[in-house]
Amino acid sequence: MILEPNLNTGLVRNTLILAKFELKKLLFNPKGLIALIAFALVWMLILLYPIRGASDILLSPDFRQLIAGIFGESSVDKLFQWQVAEMAIFWVAALYLFPLFSIFVSADQFASDKSRGSFRFLILRTGRDSLFFGRFIGHMLIQSLLLMLTVAATILLALSRESSLLLPALSSGLVVFINIFIILLPYTALMALLSLYANSARQATIYAILLWAVSAIVIAIVNSQLPAVGELLSWILPGAQLSMMINTQGISSLIYAPIPLIQAGVLLFLGRSYMQRSSL
Amino acid sequence: MSLIKCENLSKSYGSKLALDAVTLELKPGAPIALVGPNGAGKTTLFSLLCGYLLPSHGKVTIMGEKPGSRKLLGRVSSLPQDASLDPNLNLITQFILFGSLQGLTKSQAKAEGLRVLSLVGLSDVVEQKPTALSHGMSKRASIAQALIGSPQLVLLDEPTAGLDPVNAKVIRELVKSLSSNITFVISSHNLDELEKLCDQVIYLDQGKLGQSVSMQENLLDEYLTISMQECDNQALISRVEALTGINSVTLKQENEFLIHYAASEIKDIEVQLFTLFTRHGWRYKAILKGRTLEDKLFS
Repeated sequence: MILEPNLNTGLVRNTLILAKFELKKLLFNPKGLIALIAFALVWMLILLYPIRGASDILLSPDFRQLIAGIFGESSVDKLFQWQVAEMAIFWVAALYLFPLFSIFVSADQFASDKSRGSFRFLILRTGRDSLFFGRFIGHMLIQSLLLMLTVAATILLALSRESSLLLPALSSGLVVFINIFIILLPYTALMALLSLYANSARQATIYAILLWAVSAIVIAIVNSQLPAVGELLSWILPGAQLSMMINTQGISSLIYAPIPLIQAGVLLFLGRSYMQRSSL
Repeated sequence: MSLIKCENLSKSYGSKLALDAVTLELKPGAPIALVGPNGAGKTTLFSLLCGYLLPSHGKVTIMGEKPGSRKLLGRVSSLPQDASLDPNLNLITQFILFGSLQGLTKSQAKAEGLRVLSLVGLSDVVEQKPTALSHGMSKRASIAQALIGSPQLVLLDEPTAGLDPVNAKVIRELVKSLSSNITFVISSHNLDELEKLCDQVIYLDQGKLGQSVSMQENLLDEYLTISMQECDNQALISRVEALTGINSVTLKQENEFLIHYAASEIKDIEVQLFTLFTRHGWRYKAILKGRTLEDKLFS
């Protein structure tokens, strides 16, 4: 029996099919599950030690001195005003760790498929736009799932200490989730672009490290000669706003959201253009 | 309407010209063969037709549309050379994804995946991952994915390379049985296979389009190819040449002869040949109207 397709091969439909398939690949495949377990173990250690003892840590003058030493005295005062201490520590850890995870988790959006030719089976069934945005959304879904799990675990930890913190923990958890999600957008978009160019996930990760290292050097040189231009250039790279975000909490953290959103928009435009022109 | 139309189609990789101003027009119908030596540009032409590559110069359309256009999705499919399925996912999961992207519901996509896998004799391994399959089985799985849905054009790049004779025959028969609904374009080095399957043969060499041969023309050709089991070659050549209307008899390879004749002068050439064989006790293996594809292309 030959089944007639209903020709409903729309861009949005196929994009969503591919995005859901990425999530399914993580959850129903041994390699994906191993990655998930490794992620869970790292976060379990973070949750069990610094975050569990958060209230004690935040009250410790040594810790305050350490944080102030790293980020500057005036840039951390808001950190000590969080209603849920666990969420404050989670916020600091997540701000830096999730982007790092993002580089590794989303390094293989296209590289392996492209090098083994698997794209050739997909491209005759769906457009390049669906493939590009489907994979990108799929990797954002994966990271959202990981983020949601860690936020939920942090809320549970806070509740185990003080059950009256339910509402503040839920509301700050939601804001943290939204903020980190937005922060991850340009990282994932950049990795989409790099993994289109690279032949493997490892190569894409190396390109990312090189890009950050070389950019940091170039910006430092430009900054020393032309401070105004250097200042402008420093906003180009994903994560440029992270150090300033430590000293924010609640809805006010979203003040920095336009930076990653604009970066993500530009990187997605570049990635889409590259996808349209590249050989598969 | 033409199925495939190439106008001055060229593709370069750096300074290397892989395809050089190819102009051709193919109509839908019987399977079409694409032959040529290694590096002739066959896979490049296939990749351009599938939209995997963009041409450096010229224009190509399939059913009036640019390769890769939305209107062609699901209507053109292919067995790409050197492309492998995702090694981390089992066959049926990947086939359900392919079917879903072609517009089928999940249950339809599963039924369709099972159907095409059974067509190539892989019903027993639908739950296996590609890494658990032999080279031949992987090739058959890749052919099966090209048959999902109702494609109108299927491009097969070396479909039987690496397959055992039994499975190669299964694939040939599959192509034959589906060719009333699907136009196949097949690239292969196996000329015997193409001779059995295809009507039109396109020859590419060094990126340029050589000749285009129609197997149907064999019936009008004033040639006969005979393969003998055992005979005295010289005696056979001289006896056949002595018949009225025979222009020449050439020994092509071991016990295979090409006879060129004038059809207007000899109407019953087959009868005269059989009479000759019986008289001398020569036993024949095969007799072919026209020339073999190899002869047509290379002599």
